[in-house]
Amino acid sequence: MAADTATQSTSQMVLPMNVVTRSDVGRLVREAEAVDNFLRQVGVRQPGTSLQLPKTSRLYDEMVAINKLNMLQEQDRLTLHQLLQAIRTDAPVLHMSFSTDPSPLFLQKLMTWLRQNIHPLVLLQVGLLPNIGAGCVVRTNNKYFDFSLHQRFIDTRPMLISKLHGAAVVDPTGGVAVPAETAV
Amino acid sequence: MNTWGVIVILAGLAAATGAFVYLALKLNGSGPKGKKQTSGNTYIDAAEQDVEHIFNDEFREELRNRGRLHFEKIIGENAMFLQQDLRLTTSQLNEYLKSEITRKLQEEFVKYEESITDAKELAIESLTKTQQAIEQQRKMMGQQLAQEIANEKTRVVKRFEDNMADIINHYVLAAVGNQIDLNDQLEYILSELEENKKDIVEDITHGS
Repeated sequence: MAADTATQSTSQMVLPMNVVTRSDVGRLVREAEAVDNFLRQVGVRQPGTSLQLPKTSRLYDEMVAINKLNMLQEQDRLTLHQLLQAIRTDAPVLHMSFSTDPSPLFLQKLMTWLRQNIHPLVLLQVGLLPNIGAGCVVRTNNKYFDFSLHQRFIDTRPMLISKLHGAAVVDPTGGVAVPAETAV
Repeated sequence: MNTWGVIVILAGLAAATGAFVYLALKLNGSGPKGKKQTSGNTYIDAAEQDVEHIFNDEFREELRNRGRLHFEKIIGENAMFLQQDLRLTTSQLNEYLKSEITRKLQEEFVKYEESITDAKELAIESLTKTQQAIEQQRKMMGQQLAQEIANEKTRVVKRFEDNMADIINHYVLAAVGNQIDLNDQLEYILSELEENKKDIVEDITHGS
């Protein structure tokens, strides 16, 4: 329901693929506030007062550029701020754990797929589980999906056991005999 | 020489003395009585004188010597007989003792052999029972051991099968863990996500 609300209110908003986590959104919110404060201060400043331009990140610039916003317009700034707040509080978050730290390129590809197939504003929280071997573990609000190699081995354990029982025929002398069809 | 030998010698001496006295009395009684009947007191006196004349000291000494020799002869013969009897008795006694001892020893040996036989049978019986008990115990322990081995084998196999995923995962991680790049896994991850896309979207859309 919250995701629906966020979708309705931000139907026109596009998140850059580099915005991955809720922390990224929070950082964008702070930057938007800084820019808005700066521009407000500029409007009421006295002549001769020194101004210090707020530093914006590449992510913020990309966000503004993708959504074709004019930060000199107060309405656009307000819209951006509200929408970012809404995304931070209401956007769906997927928890994905990997065996190693994912690279930014990997995350970008993953976010592209997620936003095209799952939700356009979905965010990701990345975790680390070194013992899963490979693959990932996905956790949503109510469900848990284990796409790891460890779970794969568990799922295919009956097949592995049957293969082991078929392949290793214990002979009376205590050794392991190779079945006839596999022997060269 | 024991008491019986002394008694026999004394009895021989007493018999010789009695015989000597008897002869003297007989000779003294037969001569003067006839003369008394035929010639009266004169003959009796003459006889008494002749007696005194005949049985003078030399004659008496001669008789005493002959008696002594005879007595010694009798004593010697009796001693010889006694010695022969004694030897015979001794030999018989030896034979008797030998036979008795042999008989007793044989009886004791028989009893000893019976005792040994009984003890041997008892020991054999005890050993047989012990061996049977040991054999039974061995069989029971063998069965228990086989059962324990089978249980342990089943337990180990079950534990291996239960932890097989962890073992293989650990092995794969140790073997090629460092060579698996996340970028190489992206296709697999996306395919898995694609398979569960409906559930994920459902949970995100309608989940609380």
